[in-house]
Amino acid sequence: MTDAGESDEALMGRYARGDAAAFELLYRRHELRIWRYLERNVGNRATADELMQEVWFAVAREAVRYAPTSRFTTWLFTIAHNRMIDSIRTSRQQVSLESLGYEAELVVQQLTTEPNVGPLAAVVVRDQAAALRQAIGQLPREQRAAFLLQIEGDLSVEEVATITQSSFEATKSRLRYARTKLRELLSEYA
Amino acid sequence: MSKIPPSEELPEDVDDQYRRASALDPSRPSEAVRRAVLAYAAQLAAERTTADARRKIKWTRTAVNQAWWRPAILGTLATAALAGVLIAPRFLARRAPPVAATSSAEGSVRNTAPALVAQAPEPRADERAPPPPVARSADMRSPTGRERPKVNAPASGATASAGAETASVAEARQRRAPGNASTMTAIAAAPRVGAAVAPTAAPAEPAASFRRAAEIGDLSGLQRLLVKQTDIDSRDAAGRTALMLATLHGQTDAVAALLVYGADPNAPDGNGTTPLQAARAGDHRAIVVALQRYGAR
Repeated sequence: MTDAGESDEALMGRYARGDAAAFELLYRRHELRIWRYLERNVGNRATADELMQEVWFAVAREAVRYAPTSRFTTWLFTIAHNRMIDSIRTSRQQVSLESLGYEAELVVQQLTTEPNVGPLAAVVVRDQAAALRQAIGQLPREQRAAFLLQIEGDLSVEEVATITQSSFEATKSRLRYARTKLRELLSEYA
Repeated sequence: MSKIPPSEELPEDVDDQYRRASALDPSRPSEAVRRAVLAYAAQLAAERTTADARRKIKWTRTAVNQAWWRPAILGTLATAALAGVLIAPRFLARRAPPVAATSSAEGSVRNTAPALVAQAPEPRADERAPPPPVARSADMRSPTGRERPKVNAPASGATASAGAETASVAEARQRRAPGNASTMTAIAAAPRVGAAVAPTAAPAEPAASFRRAAEIGDLSGLQRLLVKQTDIDSRDAAGRTALMLATLHGQTDAVAALLVYGADPNAPDGNGTTPLQAARAGDHRAIVVALQRYGAR
């Protein structure tokens, strides 16, 4: 959690006092995890980009009111979860980048710029990433959100339950179902 | 999902599998989002720093702080009034006869207000012995009396009118009264005047400022105005949106940011030219790709 020897909470305190560098450190530390949580829940890159921006704008705005009574990641993923749920509810119309082949383009770009990946490995890599995406997409919404919160946010069952406003038992059950289903879907890549 | 029996133990192995596959997933947030977020955060940080600095200045500048001014002034005036009431009779009791001998015209005035009039001719009596310490302290209050109304005002007013032998104490008081009122008004108004200077002038039209920010690639300006609910697809007189202006001027980052914010990628200008056509005409290849990714035709 502290790639610069400073906790997330301390960085938030610094940023609230006007230190922009502290915010950048926080952003880079959690960027990918929040991105994956959003993008794998909504299944749309453009929407995920928009939500990503909304989440971090909210973090920047609310920094002065942030009280480190709980972990920063719990607070951060709570914001991300709420934004994601709002987005799904309002069902904002977005251009599907997947339909434009953007994801495929990204994969190809990654593979062609990675010198250690040969043609066969490239196929495996692409298939495995695609399989994961597909498997996550097949989970029911609540299970997917709970699983991604826990694994990307490194959150406990209690924290996931709090964020999703569910009971501990219901959350635990969702996590169990999600993992069982994922293991089944990803078995050929294990 | 109910077909899958839930196991008692959580299959953590799938977590490792998820992480391995995730590491191979090249999906990343767009660079435009990163830039937009960091620019917005930096802007807020700068605003907070400025606000903190202003707050510190305000607390250290007691001269403009109304909460400090009023007790200080009232306390000083009350002290001076008390000193005047206690000290002036003693001073006048010793020097009353010589003063009475020098001016018969002041007699009637002295009868009504001996303490105040007796100080009036004092500067002209050079040959006299220096006044006692208490009297010097009373004189020393006179210059500042112009800024400290009520108590010192009658004494200094009588001193100023010493040449006019017929001036009465009542007139002197009346002359000082407006000055006191205006001084107090000025003091009370001082913080408000400072506060009125602080606000900066707002832009004439947010939509025009927004388009201008897009045109020059001012990302922080774009974000600031979007936060204020500026219409992202507002048009200028030629029917050009912010996205079109950014495209025409080759502002790749601004184009990307506008697309992420939800600008219409197909909004034509007044001549029917779309942003994609404009980007192609200007040979802005990165903008062409960005527009196509967001559905431009």
